[in-house]
Amino acid sequence: METRSHLEKILKKGHFAVTCEMGPPKNADIEILKKKTKILKGYVDAVNITDCQTAVVRFSSFASAIIALSEGLEPVMQMTCRDRNRIGIQADLLGAWGLGIRNLLCLTGDHPKFGNHPQAKPVFDLDSIQLLSLVKGFKEGRFINGEEIKGEKPNFFAGAAANPFADPFEFRVKRLAKKVRAGAEFIQTQIVYDVERFKRFMELAEEEGLLDKVYILAGITPPKSFGMVRYMKYNVPGLMVPDELLKRMKEAKDPKEEGINIAVEIIQQVKEIPGVKGVHIMAIEWEEAVPEIVKRAGLHPRPMEPEIQPPFVVEKVVEVEKIVEKPVEKIVEKVIEKPVEVIVEKIVEKPIEVEKGLEGEEEMDKIKGVSIEFLIEMITNLKAGLKNLQSGMEHIEETLAEIEKQLLGRKPKKIEKVFRKIEEIPEKKVEKIAKEERKEKEIKEIKTEVKVEAKPEIKPEIKVEEKPKEEKEIRKPKKEIKEKVEDIGKTGFKGTYRDLKTRAEGLSEDLYIDKSSGKIVEVEIGKGEKAFKVGGTEVLPFYSFEGNTGQPLKIAMEILDIVPEDWPETLTKYFSDVFHDPGLWAKKCVEEYKAEAIGVYLIGTDPNFKNLDVKHAVEVVKKVKEAVDVPLIIWGSGNAEKDVEVLREVAEVIGDRGSVIGPIVEANHRTLGATAIGYDLPVVASSPIDVNLAKQLNILLENVGVNLDKILMDPSVGALGYGIEYTYSVMERIRIAALYAQDIKLQAPFICNVGREVWKTKEVGLPTDDLWGEAEMRGIMMEAITTVCLALAGGEIFIMRHPKAIELAKILFNSLS
Amino acid sequence: MIVAERRHLSEILKNIEPYNKVLILGCRGCVAICSTGGDREVEIIATALRIARKRQGKPLITYEATLIRQCDPEYLANLPELMKDAEAVVSLACGVGVNLIADLYPDIRVYPGVDTLFFGANTQLGVWQEKCRGCGDCIIDLTAGLCPIARCPKNLLNGPCGGSQNGKCEINPENPCIWHLIIERLTARGELDKLNEIWEPKDWRTYLGESPRKRIREDLIKNNKREG
Repeated sequence: METRSHLEKILKKGHFAVTCEMGPPKNADIEILKKKTKILKGYVDAVNITDCQTAVVRFSSFASAIIALSEGLEPVMQMTCRDRNRIGIQADLLGAWGLGIRNLLCLTGDHPKFGNHPQAKPVFDLDSIQLLSLVKGFKEGRFINGEEIKGEKPNFFAGAAANPFADPFEFRVKRLAKKVRAGAEFIQTQIVYDVERFKRFMELAEEEGLLDKVYILAGITPPKSFGMVRYMKYNVPGLMVPDELLKRMKEAKDPKEEGINIAVEIIQQVKEIPGVKGVHIMAIEWEEAVPEIVKRAGLHPRPMEPEIQPPFVVEKVVEVEKIVEKPVEKIVEKVIEKPVEVIVEKIVEKPIEVEKGLEGEEEMDKIKGVSIEFLIEMITNLKAGLKNLQSGMEHIEETLAEIEKQLLGRKPKKIEKVFRKIEEIPEKKVEKIAKEERKEKEIKEIKTEVKVEAKPEIKPEIKVEEKPKEEKEIRKPKKEIKEKVEDIGKTGFKGTYRDLKTRAEGLSEDLYIDKSSGKIVEVEIGKGEKAFKVGGTEVLPFYSFEGNTGQPLKIAMEILDIVPEDWPETLTKYFSDVFHDPGLWAKKCVEEYKAEAIGVYLIGTDPNFKNLDVKHAVEVVKKVKEAVDVPLIIWGSGNAEKDVEVLREVAEVIGDRGSVIGPIVEANHRTLGATAIGYDLPVVASSPIDVNLAKQLNILLENVGVNLDKILMDPSVGALGYGIEYTYSVMERIRIAALYAQDIKLQAPFICNVGREVWKTKEVGLPTDDLWGEAEMRGIMMEAITTVCLALAGGEIFIMRHPKAIELAKILFNSLS
Repeated sequence: MIVAERRHLSEILKNIEPYNKVLILGCRGCVAICSTGGDREVEIIATALRIARKRQGKPLITYEATLIRQCDPEYLANLPELMKDAEAVVSLACGVGVNLIADLYPDIRVYPGVDTLFFGANTQLGVWQEKCRGCGDCIIDLTAGLCPIARCPKNLLNGPCGGSQNGKCEINPENPCIWHLIIERLTARGELDKLNEIWEPKDWRTYLGESPRKRIREDLIKNNKREG
């Protein structure tokens, strides 16, 4: 029996073959490859070396295959059509054969869009089937152009991928048949979780008469966590994950253990399906799982030792061999002694396990899920570009609109109206804010009742004639303010309210009432008794005279996962007794300061700060969860990559509480979106102060499956004096678009993370002095006024820090509504 | 039609920075139809440039003209006349127009006012979609009129790839998987067997291999000579 490779021999002899996948590193370190090889050797008949899977640049498959070979593990070199044209492909194949590579898997390759070089020009000169034909041509002694190969001809044991789970289903077997006709001798399939559908595929393959012509190896991937399966179910095109499996992983006490069990069970099931000649285990970046799976599936020991010819290169370097040998020996020891270390190393190397686990062959590869690293890079570039464009664009848009109006006079009336509205509204609001400020100051002096139960038609309004008086009062109490921090809660608003109708007497209603046609969706936060909803408004903020203002505004109190380092004393004095324990801290907020929700800011996990691990975050969240029963808003460090890791685990802890997780940014919307769907959690969608980016993120999230009623938009806010006007204008434009332009993708409520912005400003930290006034009151005023401004722009839930600022903000809200 | 998109104003401004008098030259061909470079856009861009320059404190004088086509020497004949007072021209035609001006009038400083995108159809008001890549070797007779070269991101000839799900393309789920559509159409026509054949690698010479490409019709050249 003539065989070219060990894998072929195993299959031809009728043994049940085992192959697995090995992902080369994203650097030039061959030791990593050697370590992985050591782990796998003896447990698999051959190892697939991926060719820059998901279009991320890695150690080349060709070179990695040579290393595997020199380590005594037979490689299956993967070759894609993405990066090389027919010239490059043929050249590499000649080289690979010459150096002793015998197994070849022919793939089309993932589109560069999914990788870390989306700017690259995709080649795709050939497709996988044409590549198979090319390899067949080699066997027959000709290049793809028909020219004869004079001398040694590559004669690869050629394989291809097949995806029984992609659409259109019926055509999948036909395409498999095409691959077989083109020269595929073995097939490795997409990951099988839905064994029934796979069985059906195999039946169709039998009807086509394919089972005698090709060895089919079923793709197996041990699920590593609930998050990973959920991600695969919702985000990976061409992969079917049964609900039963999701449930098992969700309930598993030890998800990794359960994942291995599942893999073993699937192996046992597919083994019984006629025509399945082996399995292909894809546990990328979890190679340690492979030996365990193989053992438990009863596939160890392997029937035959491979007789591997070391590649030509190694033969030559006999003298160097000693040097090479030594470190290898050491590594073996390490592996044996500290398997945990090895695992950690691997995880560090490719932190986003989901993709990894998934990365695989290319057709099966559809798993791609998009590399987070690449998205981050792209977003960073985009952001820089967008910032430059923004200022210019805005100016130009205005100018052009004006030009069109003037020159063409064709502007539809409707749009003109919107324009006018945009111009008018800020004026009104500015006026209002001005009044608010005066009122706040007034508060200190005059104690009155708070009008909590104001009728919807009533609007706070102070007679024009009163204004001069108020102004005088502002000057006088200046010094008094200093001592009155404690009084904030006790005071209220002075002023007689007259509803708009009375004030507008004599005017017809249609002159001042302009009802919107949109409605902001309601988002439920938390579960159970303390749950509440935000959103639901059909009018601009506080325009109660025009219609339903929806749910009341809410304020969450923020705590950190670590002891704050840069908070001024005026803020820390309220919490310093509980800083050591996030649970107690949260409890104090709820019990003493009556917080309706708690925002947990996992700042300590920031890789650029303390880089605390996931475990830390989980512990903090657990403590908070157990200490309080109000809804939680879990806010990651803002590092897109780290947040995926952290929030996925955190979600597991707070899943049953319906807590909010965030911030989700464009770079991690797929993974975190999937997490949110899996646990049915609302999310914070953060975008960098831009109407279109906010909208785009909402659309992206909806595409992933996160409905608008689970989205809180974080437009990225600025503190008073720190760009609040920019935030204000963007929020206002979003809200006007949502209500008046029926832009349904923007009809989500706003969440404003105020405390963090305010308490990092220079002004809140400056000491008391005559010019700047009392330090604490200054901080309180900054936080409260920032919040009120943002409420006027449309904010509906705010995360704040200072208890007194919260009180003050509430007084102001109540008097406005 | 050839679909183009206006360049960002700042880029145009940068190009014409040294000049005080500029001709904005539109084209009534494709770019007018895709609302990028017709009479209306010439007027808008000229105005916008003037305003922007005024704000920079360097007022600009613009001349406006729109030719029937910029891809035809005949219509470009009076360009020198139009350029009498101008120091440079910003062409709102596709790249063909800009190149032809540059070919014909080496002394005229011509700058592109648009980015030329693709050959597309105006599928709804405000939306243009690529339908053809001009690869020079049409294959859509075999694919029910739907072009996998232009409309499959991997330009597969033996598709669909494993990323086809529910008829959508994994690269951009807003787009249909064109191979899914091809299979549907051919199935309906009872011609699906056509796809069982392995499609040979494409000969790309007609596309990029021998560029710039040229088309010659001897008969027309001869007729022209005779008449002339």
